Amino acid sequence: MPGILKSLLKNKAFLLMVLPGAAWFIIFAYLPMFGTIIAFKDFRIHPGGFFKSVYESDWVGFKNFEFLFSTDDAYIITRNTILYNVGLIALGLVLAVTLAVVMNELLNKRLAKMYQTAMFMPYFLSWVIISYFVFSFLNVEKGVFNQILAYFGADPVSWYNETKYWPYFLILLGLWKSAGYGSVVYLAAIAGIDKSLYEAAMIDGASKWQQIKSITLPQLKPLMIILTVLNLGGIFRSDFGLFYQVTRDSGALYPVTNVIDTFVYRGLTIMGDMGMSTAAGLYQSFVGLILVLTANWAVRKIEKDYAVF
Amino acid sequence: MKSRKMMLTLAAMMLASTTALAGCGGNNEGGNANAPKNETNNTGGSAAGEANAGGEDEAKLDPAKLKVYMIGGPQRDLPQVQDEMNKYLTEKINATVDITMIDWGDYSKRMQVITTSGENFDIAFTSSWAFDYLPNATRGAFMPINDLLDKYGQGIKENLDPRFLSGSQIDGKNYAVPVNKELASQWVWRFNKQYVDKYKIDVTKIRTLEDMEPYLKQIKESEPADITPLAVPKGFKPYVPFDFLLGDEFPVGINLSDKEGKYVNILESAELKSSLATIRKYYQAGYLRKDVATLDGIDNIKTGKWFADREQTQPYADLGWSRSAGYDIVSNPMQDPVIFTGSATGAMHAISANSKNPERAMMFLNLLNTDPYLRNLINYGIEGTHYKKLSDNVIEDLPAMKDGFQMPGFALGNLFLTYLHKEDPADKWDAFKKFNDSAIVAPSFGFNFNPDPVKTEVASISAIVKEFYPSIMTGSVDPDEYLPKAIEKLKAAGLDKVIAEAQKQYDAWKAANGK
Repeated sequence: MPGILKSLLKNKAFLLMVLPGAAWFIIFAYLPMFGTIIAFKDFRIHPGGFFKSVYESDWVGFKNFEFLFSTDDAYIITRNTILYNVGLIALGLVLAVTLAVVMNELLNKRLAKMYQTAMFMPYFLSWVIISYFVFSFLNVEKGVFNQILAYFGADPVSWYNETKYWPYFLILLGLWKSAGYGSVVYLAAIAGIDKSLYEAAMIDGASKWQQIKSITLPQLKPLMIILTVLNLGGIFRSDFGLFYQVTRDSGALYPVTNVIDTFVYRGLTIMGDMGMSTAAGLYQSFVGLILVLTANWAVRKIEKDYAVF
Repeated sequence: MKSRKMMLTLAAMMLASTTALAGCGGNNEGGNANAPKNETNNTGGSAAGEANAGGEDEAKLDPAKLKVYMIGGPQRDLPQVQDEMNKYLTEKINATVDITMIDWGDYSKRMQVITTSGENFDIAFTSSWAFDYLPNATRGAFMPINDLLDKYGQGIKENLDPRFLSGSQIDGKNYAVPVNKELASQWVWRFNKQYVDKYKIDVTKIRTLEDMEPYLKQIKESEPADITPLAVPKGFKPYVPFDFLLGDEFPVGINLSDKEGKYVNILESAELKSSLATIRKYYQAGYLRKDVATLDGIDNIKTGKWFADREQTQPYADLGWSRSAGYDIVSNPMQDPVIFTGSATGAMHAISANSKNPERAMMFLNLLNTDPYLRNLINYGIEGTHYKKLSDNVIEDLPAMKDGFQMPGFALGNLFLTYLHKEDPADKWDAFKKFNDSAIVAPSFGFNFNPDPVKTEVASISAIVKEFYPSIMTGSVDPDEYLPKAIEKLKAAGLDKVIAEAQKQYDAWKAANGK
């Protein structure tokens, strides 16, 4: 016991730093976990308050999960969710690392800072605002794209009804919004790489490209693996704003824009059923957990040191 | 290497958690943005209600504080008016109220959270279109009020058209007090009078979608391109004479001409099919906007660049529309007024299942429905500050009303008690009563469908409807190709099962109610 106390005292500065994050996790992630049992209940409000309501509601087994798999759309939404996320994770990784390396190589540090800020900006914009930017480009009658097409004498395209363009639009926008943010992490990691490695390489006559290939990238590898494994956990979740707001909820685009989150939103707004919404969330989290565990297990098999846990 | 990895892991974790946090905020768009706000400044007259607090001896009542949630934008002067109300209420029923206004778009979601968390509020606004009455009553959010109505709500029972109470019953029980207002619903074509005059159009001849054709054509050919002949957003649906099971965004209903009362798939009805062919023709001719299928709203009133659209009406609606537009608008009905179950639940007040003071809450609701002073206070604010009286029941707004106290009149209690504005016709509320009396009562009036046994199917169907309706109903796609596609998909999602369940419940309800 005194041992624990002693170590607490010794590490108090660190523990204090962890406190806000830990409190956040306990309040917003661990305590609400109790609520996941609603996914298996037919939730009814009881005058005795929330806990009483949960306790008094009837168990219904896996009935609340049925609607996720009940339609022909089940395949489409799962496919869309996974493919978009895989695309965004993979391309996002490449783009973020590339940007970080390029930034780092820029000699003019002032300019580098400016580019960095400019790329960071979209991250702070809400999808609602972005959806209007996009609309000003894609509007049928007055949009920029159609004006350009008209200038060259081409027929206007009804962008919000044509599914074929949207996978590219969505991936592009998703990357544009998050690349700046992602690159900052790698930029910080590059700054932490031991400078003597580069000096030794330069003495040996290594070119810039060789330095990047043989020093920067290998040094970034652990971070890339960790972030990717963690991102995999969210593969069944998608950015609601991107798929709902930016596409203006256009029905014609559903085959390529419907993902689990939008499907749940559209299906449940009419009833507001707590059990079914919770079931959807639990399903997404569960698959995410399995993916993280599997990915981590795979990494551990290949390169033990790089595994997250 | 090891400690470095730990640090990286930690940093990554923190990043992941902040993204998760950011993710929480974003998901709350959409919702009930098209709530009927048009009645915001409704006015009113017949001051006949007696100001009697339900006959209880006030001296015996302990002081009580009532927590009330109402829909509408928060108002600057509400605290001031609330103080005034509390003075009066303390005297009448020894109670005070604490009113919270929640904005139109947020109301349903906020109330969902408030009720689920088990907060002890007393009264909340509920309706068929915001914080939906039926699902929330069935999941136990509201208290059954039949006994309370008998004891403390006599004034409500006397004043209210009895069809409101019978129409809002669920399994023979009432869970909310409906607002006394227009009961029937009626769709009309609205026209911008400027063009009606210019082309000497007799709007009384335009009833069906087909009737519109020559006039839409004329406008399209003679007016500049930015005047939209049929200026409707993606919520547009051709009128079909159906009694809907779960609103017009769900394709199940009884044909009003069907005396048997059979629930059918509306997408397979002959009426809809022919209307869709017509609207497709209009779309291709350019009478609707090209981007109508993604158009959330269309600001006709403000821009004035429109010829016709559709709207739900009420007596003297043309006057109200013209007043808020600043130019003349006329309308002509598409149908006779009909009373549906949903129309009885257009605006109501429920008492929370968790209320600690249900008796006092009912007394307060009774006053809102019978006491002209209180009813007008909560609607128009304080005399001399927010309005001035021109005669007994006619008022004129003062600037403070516009700046700080714009309450949604139709959502606050008996509308027929409210003062009139000087532009209003003197017989406004009588016209409302006549409108209610003249309406046809739909066969399923009073029947509330319980979707629980088929909720999986209902959820899937709702999602599919959102995919197809905006493009099919506006003519943006070829109905010959897409209608069968939609029907097939809906069937796969269990539409027939929902229809069968609806029929079963409806037949049982008919038998129980001797219809």
